[in-house]
Amino acid sequence: MKKRTIKMVAALASAAMLATSIGVGAFASEGDGSTPRNETLYFGGQQWGAINDWNPMSANSNNAMGIQQKDSTRTLIYETLFMYNLLDNELYPLLGTEWAWDDEATMASMTVKLNPDAHWSDGTALTAADVVATFDYNLKCQSSYGVEMSTFITSMEAVDDQTVKINSVVGDDGVAVNPLMIKQMLQKMYVMQKAYLETVEARCESPEDMKLDKMEDLVASGPYMPYYDDEQKVVFIRDENYWGQAESMWGSLPVPKYIGHVIYKDNAAAQTALEQGEMDVAQLFLTDVQKMWEEKELPITTYIDEPPYNIAGTIPTCWFNVEKPGLDRVEVRKAIAMATDYDQILASAMSNQSPSFADVPRSMMNPSDPEQASFDHDALKDLQWIGKDIEGANALLDEAGIVDTDGDGIREVDGTKLSFKAECPSGWTDWNASLEIVAAAGKEIGIEIETYFPEASVWTDDYTTGNFDILMNSVTGASITNPFYRCKQFLYGPFADLEINYSGNYGHYRNAEADEILDGLATETDPEALKAAYTRLNEIYLTDVPSFGLMYRPDMFYTVNETVWTGYPMNEDGTNIPPADCTDGYGIAALYQLELVEG
Amino acid sequence: MKNTLRNIFHSPKFVIGFVIFFGLLLFTFIYPWFVMADPLEMVGQGNFFKPGTYVSVKDTVDSKYYTLNIQAKSANLGDHIEDKDKADMRDWLVNYGGVSQEEMDAADDNTLVALWLEHYDSKAKQKGLLASKKKAFVRLDKEIQKLASDADMIIAQENEDGELEETASVDSQQYVNTRDISNKRTFVLGTDNFGRDVLTELVQATKVSLKIGLIAGTVATLIGLLLGLLSGYIGGVFDDVIIFITNLFTVIPSFVLLILITYSVGQNARGVTLIATVIGATSWTWTCRSVRSQVISLRNRDHVNLSKLSGHSMMRIVLTDILPYVASYVVMAFILQISSGILAEAQLSMLGLGPSTTTTATLGQMMNWATLYAAHLNGSWWAYFPVVFVITIIAFSLNLMNTGLDQVFNPQLRD
Repeated sequence: MKKRTIKMVAALASAAMLATSIGVGAFASEGDGSTPRNETLYFGGQQWGAINDWNPMSANSNNAMGIQQKDSTRTLIYETLFMYNLLDNELYPLLGTEWAWDDEATMASMTVKLNPDAHWSDGTALTAADVVATFDYNLKCQSSYGVEMSTFITSMEAVDDQTVKINSVVGDDGVAVNPLMIKQMLQKMYVMQKAYLETVEARCESPEDMKLDKMEDLVASGPYMPYYDDEQKVVFIRDENYWGQAESMWGSLPVPKYIGHVIYKDNAAAQTALEQGEMDVAQLFLTDVQKMWEEKELPITTYIDEPPYNIAGTIPTCWFNVEKPGLDRVEVRKAIAMATDYDQILASAMSNQSPSFADVPRSMMNPSDPEQASFDHDALKDLQWIGKDIEGANALLDEAGIVDTDGDGIREVDGTKLSFKAECPSGWTDWNASLEIVAAAGKEIGIEIETYFPEASVWTDDYTTGNFDILMNSVTGASITNPFYRCKQFLYGPFADLEINYSGNYGHYRNAEADEILDGLATETDPEALKAAYTRLNEIYLTDVPSFGLMYRPDMFYTVNETVWTGYPMNEDGTNIPPADCTDGYGIAALYQLELVEG
Repeated sequence: MKNTLRNIFHSPKFVIGFVIFFGLLLFTFIYPWFVMADPLEMVGQGNFFKPGTYVSVKDTVDSKYYTLNIQAKSANLGDHIEDKDKADMRDWLVNYGGVSQEEMDAADDNTLVALWLEHYDSKAKQKGLLASKKKAFVRLDKEIQKLASDADMIIAQENEDGELEETASVDSQQYVNTRDISNKRTFVLGTDNFGRDVLTELVQATKVSLKIGLIAGTVATLIGLLLGLLSGYIGGVFDDVIIFITNLFTVIPSFVLLILITYSVGQNARGVTLIATVIGATSWTWTCRSVRSQVISLRNRDHVNLSKLSGHSMMRIVLTDILPYVASYVVMAFILQISSGILAEAQLSMLGLGPSTTTTATLGQMMNWATLYAAHLNGSWWAYFPVVFVITIIAFSLNLMNTGLDQVFNPQLRD
């Protein structure tokens, strides 16, 4: 009896196994999005988790590979009017051919000319009416970018099929309040098809519902269209009818027929894939990246061959909540900033992949030449600190009367112990390590700092509502709006009044003088006045220390493996294509110059 | 008692386990006498410096020079270039350097180097060459230039006017004795991602992990023993209640409970003792169950009944008539609890829920950071392998001791 049971079980089990294997096999052959390796450019580190929609107006999109409206917008599927090049801080034509203020003095309106060759993936022409409809629908459905745009654009009008007029929001003096943001919009707003938007509107109950539409039947103008996606990977396929092959644009189709992105479990899995040549372009932070070519001798390279390997664009920053007792004292904030060991952060947390504060002394500007030239360096010399200055920090606190009165090794301010939580999302390795180094500095100067690494969503809630002591968050990197917008992010008081604040000044710092300078700065064009204003803003920033940069960091990491493809843009190769991972802003130009590795 | 101890120490398994375990324990106490550096000090500026002795360059330059008649590197260049590189150089020279194939075929290693020095130009148009390869050639060229250079290296210092003044020149036959150099530091196991000395950190981490294991084991054993003794001896409703609670704790996966508790107390409170206590408080159930079942079989034995008849208090009966019979089992369970406590801490820290990184080092924390910084992918074995080894050896020695004890105490296993 017993034996028979065992036999039965065994038979059943093997039958079940057979059935599953057949099932899996059948599914695999049905269409798993597999594409020939030598026609596919594989990315990594951009998309984490499955894609959930194709809607640029969506509020909860998880489609980083396809949709990213940012400082250098990703134009694989949807396209913008212009492309931003972080190397020269210029806009390059895409759907738009040229743009100009109608009146340079007031910047009250702008005219943009469209490329007459541009058409949609369904073959219909892309006209000014589409651009206008995109703006109108973004407003109508209150998409987050729509809401933002309404603060600096009142309306758009189609003058003729190829001409769009953009009307700025103007102040009492008739001058545009924020012309830089309009310029940024040229490379940020995805142009969508009017007819398609109307279809979507018709199938939604209310305009707000349009934000929830998945748009899986999308019509777009970009060189690629969705081909396959699931929890394991995302594949785009080239649109053979792409308008950009016209001589007026690229003159050819992009080289890879497919764009693939395998969704990896974590950084380590992605790194393994890169090393094995399964991934071509990696947007990954890789510890000791130089070992890949120095020790493992792999055909892997970064934009620059020597440290810092990438172009630094942004400044991950430690924000103080200046409303917390203790952190409302500038001495405490400055002491923490002075005691932190930045060289250690750079060397260990960042694996030497950005310039040091010795190379580029601290300010609100990123290390790029134009931004560094925007202020007077000599004026800031006495205000900048070098870090790891435990003695100086201790002296500063002692002088301010912030001492340890109860002998527990922790200083007090008005009877409250200086004990803070420093927060950033768990799993953001280099940030976690940086905060550990800040916490170690706190230990040296009698300030208790404990690190706190919650889920990213908790961290987002905390920084948007000001619910933190010390928090790590980044600021905008290379952008057409910078350094202006970054200064605003660091200092602008009115941001603190926002109920949900994604904009900046997360620590609720207030300085009337800074607000006034920033208000006047958006429309200032005189270079001397600009320089004076930026210098003063930096003085305020470095004196009051509402936050402090922990390191410089590339906007995007760019590491390529030349096993299958070559011809990637490299530093000083004369192409002027930025290392924006072949996908963002003018970086997409790289897709037109790639070649297969011979042999 | 004496006899039991002698039996225990006659068990080879127990002795081996005991020696390993106490050897390790002893090492963690002796090591800090010799190396007094703070184990959490971030010495190395960079990730994962490899094991070895690091000597001060400045001291080397200032040190006494000895001239040794050892053939210097530049004497026979070819030997110092790898064959693969030589082949690459030949390809480059033929394809981009304008050297003919015949000339190349005739060239020996030294001629190759000469040709290379003459013809290589990083700015040359190198159509079809991978960017990574181009960069590799630039690095190779730098190496060869260095090898080929016969010139003495000049050491200069900046004088008051900001000009460089030669203080010494060094040729390739000059050596220094490492004993002359006072500023040096040996990292037996290299450094970790924060630049901390792995060996020093490992010693502290081992100590902390053992402490966690001991506390967790003690807590778990005490709770389990107490509840087991009482529920087994008293029985009835009391037993039902205790066994109900025990079952409840057995069904809830203890590790999940552990994660929830440690997460909710926050990192500041997550000191070593607290973590250990929490681990202990979630892992006592099987000790309790086993003790209870043993007590139930004991409580109707004659000697227990005799004690009862003699009017001994419950406390006395439990302590003198029952406890000694379960003691051997409890000791064995305790040993296993230590080992599982250490492993539980490692698991917790791997999830980032261990004690705070800046205040203490634990084995789990070390593993966690090594993995986060991809030490296992970059060949930085010293950052994770010794940690794994220590965890394994602790668990192994404890289990060995346990097996040894089992053989002594369990009549069925006795030879």
